[in-house]
Parts: sequence; C-alpha cells; structure tokens
Amino acid sequence: MRELPSKESALFKQILKYYEFKQYKKGLKATEQILKKYPEHGETLAMKGLFLNHMDKKDDAREFVRKGLKSDLKSHICWHVYGLLHRSDKNYGEALKCYTQALKIDKDNMQILQDYSLLQIQMRNYEAFNESRHHLLQLRPNNQRYWIGLAISYHLLGNYETAEKVLKTYEDTLKPGQPNYEHSEMLLYHNLIIDESGNTEAALEHLDSIKSNVCDRRIWKEKRAQFLLKLHRLQDAEAAYEELINDNPDCYSYYEGLQIAKGINTSMNNYLNVEDNSLDDLTPECEEKIIALYKDLAQKYPKSNAIKLFPLLYTTGDNFKMFADEYIQAALRKGVPSLFVNLKKLYNDPQKEDIIEQLVEGYLECLKNNGTFTQSKSDDDVKEPPTAYLWTLYLLSQHYDNKRDTTKALKLIDEAIEHTPTLVELYMTKGRILKHGGNHNEATKVMNEARELDLQDRFINSKCSKYMLRNDQIEEAEQKIGLFTRGDAPDPLTDLADMQCMWFVLEEGESYIRQKKWSKALKRFHQIEKHFADITDDQFDFHTYCLRKVTLRAYLSMLRLEDQLRSHPYYFRAAQSAIKIYIGLYDNPNTGTISEESEDYANMTEGEKKKLKNKAKKAALKKQKEDEERKEKAKEDVKRKVDKPQDDDPDGEKLLKTEDPLGEAFKFLLPLQELSPKRIETHLLGFEIYLRKSIII
Amino acid sequence: MNIRQATADDLLAMQNCNIMNLPENYQMKYYFYHLLSWPQLSFVAEDHKGRIVGYVLAKMEEDREDEPPHGHITSLSVMRTYRRLGIAEKLMTQAQKNMVEVFNAQYVSLHVRKSNRAALHLYKDTLKFSIHEVEKKYYADGEDAYAMRKDLPQINPLK
Repeated sequence: MRELPSKESALFKQILKYYEFKQYKKGLKATEQILKKYPEHGETLAMKGLFLNHMDKKDDAREFVRKGLKSDLKSHICWHVYGLLHRSDKNYGEALKCYTQALKIDKDNMQILQDYSLLQIQMRNYEAFNESRHHLLQLRPNNQRYWIGLAISYHLLGNYETAEKVLKTYEDTLKPGQPNYEHSEMLLYHNLIIDESGNTEAALEHLDSIKSNVCDRRIWKEKRAQFLLKLHRLQDAEAAYEELINDNPDCYSYYEGLQIAKGINTSMNNYLNVEDNSLDDLTPECEEKIIALYKDLAQKYPKSNAIKLFPLLYTTGDNFKMFADEYIQAALRKGVPSLFVNLKKLYNDPQKEDIIEQLVEGYLECLKNNGTFTQSKSDDDVKEPPTAYLWTLYLLSQHYDNKRDTTKALKLIDEAIEHTPTLVELYMTKGRILKHGGNHNEATKVMNEARELDLQDRFINSKCSKYMLRNDQIEEAEQKIGLFTRGDAPDPLTDLADMQCMWFVLEEGESYIRQKKWSKALKRFHQIEKHFADITDDQFDFHTYCLRKVTLRAYLSMLRLEDQLRSHPYYFRAAQSAIKIYIGLYDNPNTGTISEESEDYANMTEGEKKKLKNKAKKAALKKQKEDEERKEKAKEDVKRKVDKPQDDDPDGEKLLKTEDPLGEAFKFLLPLQELSPKRIETHLLGFEIYLRKSIII
Repeated sequence: MNIRQATADDLLAMQNCNIMNLPENYQMKYYFYHLLSWPQLSFVAEDHKGRIVGYVLAKMEEDREDEPPHGHITSLSVMRTYRRLGIAEKLMTQAQKNMVEVFNAQYVSLHVRKSNRAALHLYKDTLKFSIHEVEKKYYADGEDAYAMRKDLPQINPLK
C-alpha cells in the first residue's frame, strides 16, 4: 500500500518539509501519527528511521528504515532514505547502490541526483560524477550551480577544453554587471582551467580580459607575473614582481620571480625546502648583481626580513662576511630569539659556518671587554645594550650544540642563565642541548623550570609535556597538558581528541611502545587514523557549499589535498608504528593475553613487588578521586552538549586481541604504498607483511 | 620568514600551531570552512624548512543587516621562538589589505581575553586596535572578552 488518504498524505508532505528544515523531533511525532493508523506504510517507516538516525538512535533507525524498505521496495523514497542512512554510517559504496535503485524508480529526481553526485565526487568516481552533473544541468539549465558543477566534472577528468567550453557558454548568457565576488571567483576558476591545460599564452590573454571583473587583485597580479615569466616576457615580469613585492615585501616567491626575471638565475628554484646547496656555480657577476639588487630593495623596504636574509644565501667569502656581520649584529642588538634558526640554513656551506663562528666568537670577546661588537677604534663608540652579550651567548651556545659540542654549549648557556635567570628561551635551549646529549631526564627537568617561569604560556607548556613524553613520564605529561585543555571536558585527553590534536597522542603512542604497552600504543595510533578519516569525511559538506559560494579554486585545492592527505608525516609515523606492533603480534600471538606488566613483575624481588603493589594502590585511589571530581565537573557542563557514546575499548585491549593482525597492518600500509612510495620504510614494512602472508599460503 | 597566503595544504600545520600555542582551539573542519569561504583572508609565516611558525585565520561578517561588512580575526598566533620579528603585524597587514580589496570591509574586529595582557598589548599598541566593548562571559569558562576594532582605510572604488 503506497497511497495514503488525503489527510495523511498532506501530513507526509509536511514530514518531508520537517526533514528539509532539520526539525527532527516534529518530524518524528508526525510519522508516529501516521503509523498509528497505517503501521505498515513503508515510506513513513523509512522517514521515522531517518529522524531517529539524526537523533543518534542508530539501532532503531536502521530497523525502521529496513522495515520501511521491505514493505515498499518500489518506493524511491525508501531507497533514498536507505542510501542516506548508509551515507551517515560512511558506507559510501552501499549508499551508491541504494541511490542507483532509487534513480531507477524516479530517474529525474533532483534531490536524489544531487545526493548521488555528492557521493560520486566524494568517492572520486569522476566518470559517474560527470554523468550526474550532465543530467542535473539538463534538468535545471538556468541555474549557475549546475553549469559550474559540470565544468568541474570535466576539469577533474582532465578534459580542460570541454570544461572551459561549458563555463564560456554559461558566461556568454550573462549580462555585464558590477564586479562581485562570486562572479570574480568563477572567472578566476575559468582562468585556472586554461592555465592547467598548459596554454599559458591563452591563459594570459584571458586573464587580461577579465581584469575589470576580478575582486581578488592580488591573485590576479600573481597569476599575471607567473604567466609573463613562463612566456619569457622578462621585462614585463620584472615590473609585475616589483609591484607584488610592494604589496607584500616578505613573500619569498616574489623575490624568486624577480631574480629569474632579472636573469640572476642562481640556484633560485625555490629557496624553501631545498636542502642541497647548489650555489657553487655562483659567478662573481651574479653575486654583484644580487648585492646591488638587495641593497636597492633594502632602502625601499626597510622592514622586510626577507631582504636582509637573501644576500646571505647568495654571496660568498668576504661579501658574505660583510652581510653576515651586519645581519647578526642587528639581530643580537634587538634580541631576536630565532636568529640561530635563521642562520642554520647557511650551515650547508661549511665555509659560511666557519665565518659565522669567527664573527660571533669575536663579538663575545669584544662585548666582554668593551661592550661593543667589534674592536673599538675610538673610545667614544656607542656601547651595545647589556642584553647584546646575553643574546650572543645564546646564539653561540646553539651554534656549538649544532656541532654537538655539548660541553661548550652547556657552559655558554649556563653563563647566559646566570646573566638573566628569568628568560624562558634560555632554559628551553638548555633542555634541547641536554636532550641532544642524551640526558632526557635532566632535559625534562630543565624544561619544567622553563615552564614554571611562564605559567600563562601554552607553548612552553606543550614543549615541556613533549619532553616528558620523550622521557616516558606519561602521567606527568597528561597532567601538564591538562592545564590548558578545556575545563568542561571530562579529561585532558578527551579534549585533545575532540580538537583533533595529533602531536600529543603520537608522542604518547611512541612512548608506550618504548614501555612495551602495546594495547595503549595501538589505541593512540588508531586515534590518529581516526582523525585522518574524519578529515576525509569532512569534505562531504563542502562539495555543495563551495558550489554555492563559488570558491572553486579553493575547493579544487581541498580535493587535491584530501587525495593525498595520508602522506602527512603524522600519518606516516602512526602507521609505521602500528604496523610494527601488528607484525609483532602476529609473531607472538600471546602478547595480547599476557598482562603487560607481568613480565617485569616476574623478575622482581618480594620487596619490590610489595612496593609496586602499594604504589599501584595509591595511584588507583588517587585516580578514583580525580575521576570522581572530573565526573562531577563534567555533569555540570553536560547540559551544553549531547551525550557522546562511551568508548568501549579505552585502553586498546580489544585492538590487541584482533584475529587478523596482518590484515590490520595491511590497512595501515595501503595509504603508505599509495602516497609515500618513495620512502624506503614503506617497502620494508610491506616486505615484512608480505613475507608473513606467504607463509600462511 | 616567508609570509604568504594560506592554502589547503597549510591547514593541518596551522591547527597544530594553534593547539601548541593557544588555549582557544578549533576542529579541522572550522579551518577548512575559513579557507573555503574566504581563501584570501588567511596567511601563514613559514620558516626555511617549510614549517608553519605563525598564522592568521580570518573571515568576513557579511550577512548581518545591522552592521556594515567587516572582517573578523578568528585566531592569530606566532610560535614563541619566532617572536620579535614583527610576524604578527605582517600577517595582519596582509589579511587586512585583502579584507578591504576583495570584500570592501569597513573595519576589522576580534576578541581577546580580558586577562591576556600580552595579546592585549599586541592588538592595542602594535596593531592599533581599540576596545569597542566588553562582552560578558564570552568564553566557555566564563571569562569576559574585549571586543576590539580597527577601522580600515578604504580604497578608491573608481580605481
């Protein structure tokens, strides 16, 4: 039975409205009203399930949706709802099948087609996505969204020509109007398509033609400069980059562009992230040109840090010494804590490292004797501020730490601390030096001293917690990090998980490995995996949102990021560790059943055992008390939030009891193989897994 | 430090920087929301290894009938070890420029904890914001916020 009497039929229409406007409670009530009279009505049953699903009653939801579908297999609504249910459970494959069924029954249903296309793009089924977008545009040819959607689908297929044609066809129907943001974004997206098609000439021409309609002036100028450079119109490119530098004198890529345009083509290609130092072939003429260029720019933009730093990269010998002298002195005078980090890049060249060492050793000597950086020529030289000596000690200490001359580094930093015992940075550096020297215990202590000097600062708190984790002091670390998590969260770790904080759990997991606490370690690495999975799912809403907002370039960059999200170093570290645990578990299946502490316990004397028991008792009592306090606190705040389902495996014991450790390991391996194929570890881990799999076969 | 517009690839690093430095944190989706709504308004500072050491996450308040369009700073942070280079100021300058150029913002607003003297100093003295009003119990823990504002110079629309 499908047709309801007119009264109920009207109510059912109302139900669909309730769903559209997210009025789930009202909707649920209305379904129950109909079901009282017609308990077998499939579509109403399905809708009831859908409302329940939104009210977080997953089990009931599934039951009603299935029941609804069973009693009305020919209803597109029932299939659509079943698809939505799968979608909300992230079973995208199953959801796709349901939508296909629904569309067989009602092929021109906009809502279903719309949802269908969202799934297709989420799953990166580009061909199918393209078909759906065609269909949607056919049904609604007057709506901008569908034109753009179709263009994107061709773009993603790499069919630039058709993508562009679609946009052009749409643009031609528009009347000229005032520039507005959405239109501007569409035109810039259009330009991106031409750019990516490889036809730079056409892209430049198009860019010039849309100039008066573009709101985002900066990107317009950036694109133009890039195109000009690519087309070797160097004079024009030079002017374009000069204008960009005027807009932002701290953007490295603008200087890169300018240097290439000016023919000062040293190792330019990307100062950032290039580790090798290929400046060897720097000719003297090049060096002279660079000096002249940056001297000129420094006058125009005295506040730019980039302009001060670049000559250090592109000069050698005496020229380098002159620039370094000036740069380092200015930073020491001002007290710039990141000075060493800035200089470190130059250490790729051992000659430069030596020059820096000589210079700074000289400053220290002179500051000590005369209060000036260099040998005084006359008595009325201006004296440097007393902090200059402090920052010189600080810099030199980091320099020797970098050379792993721990003794010298410690001596210098201790002198600095004696000079100014309240400066957090000094203790942080001391902690670092100790860590590099292998003394994690002492390093952690010093970091905690640093933290205590500025209890308001989360950064030093985070650093201190990190050192504690590296020193396997998990409890202390959790306590410290908890000083800055939200008070209304049940505990610090929950807040960090809610906020998708990754560095802490990752460090914690690695610490648990060192402590052979496998289950807790696994739990942490699965949490990292969950964060990445959630970020992938987060895309879903943006497929619709960006089409509406017309922020298409940003949308495309999001799609591309998501495609390689798991190439992120955090994922790599988590996956690598998880795989190793699972392999270990496969080799020693009993790891999961033996209590983790028992091994150590067996080797203890009676006295030690007693001590340990007492300690455990005390800790348990303390934890109980803390838990109670937290629960009280959480109760007070609970009104503001919906209850979240409890974690049924907080310590990862269930993870450790898996029947198929190699299968679990393999799940972590797949993204590494796909996205990090150039890392040797990927293949070593893969080898370990395959080796064991073939034994089974 | 390299100061440039933020891209989707920077969002995880921005979130990491935020959670290392500040007590006010957001989920990744909120970062995506900013970038996918107003890609021109968020900027990052990057060191020579490509590490994000500072960022500004900003948005527009466009749809309120009672207020002219204006920018809003959701979050601004520079790693402690990278201070005294004027990075915060440079990030803000860039974000503000685009607020005016792209979105015709009349002013820019932000919130700061009443007790956060360091941040107050930065906004008031360095970045020239002034206190617009006090918002009672703005933060989850019950603390008041200063709502601060700064007028933005307008560009000639005929240009």
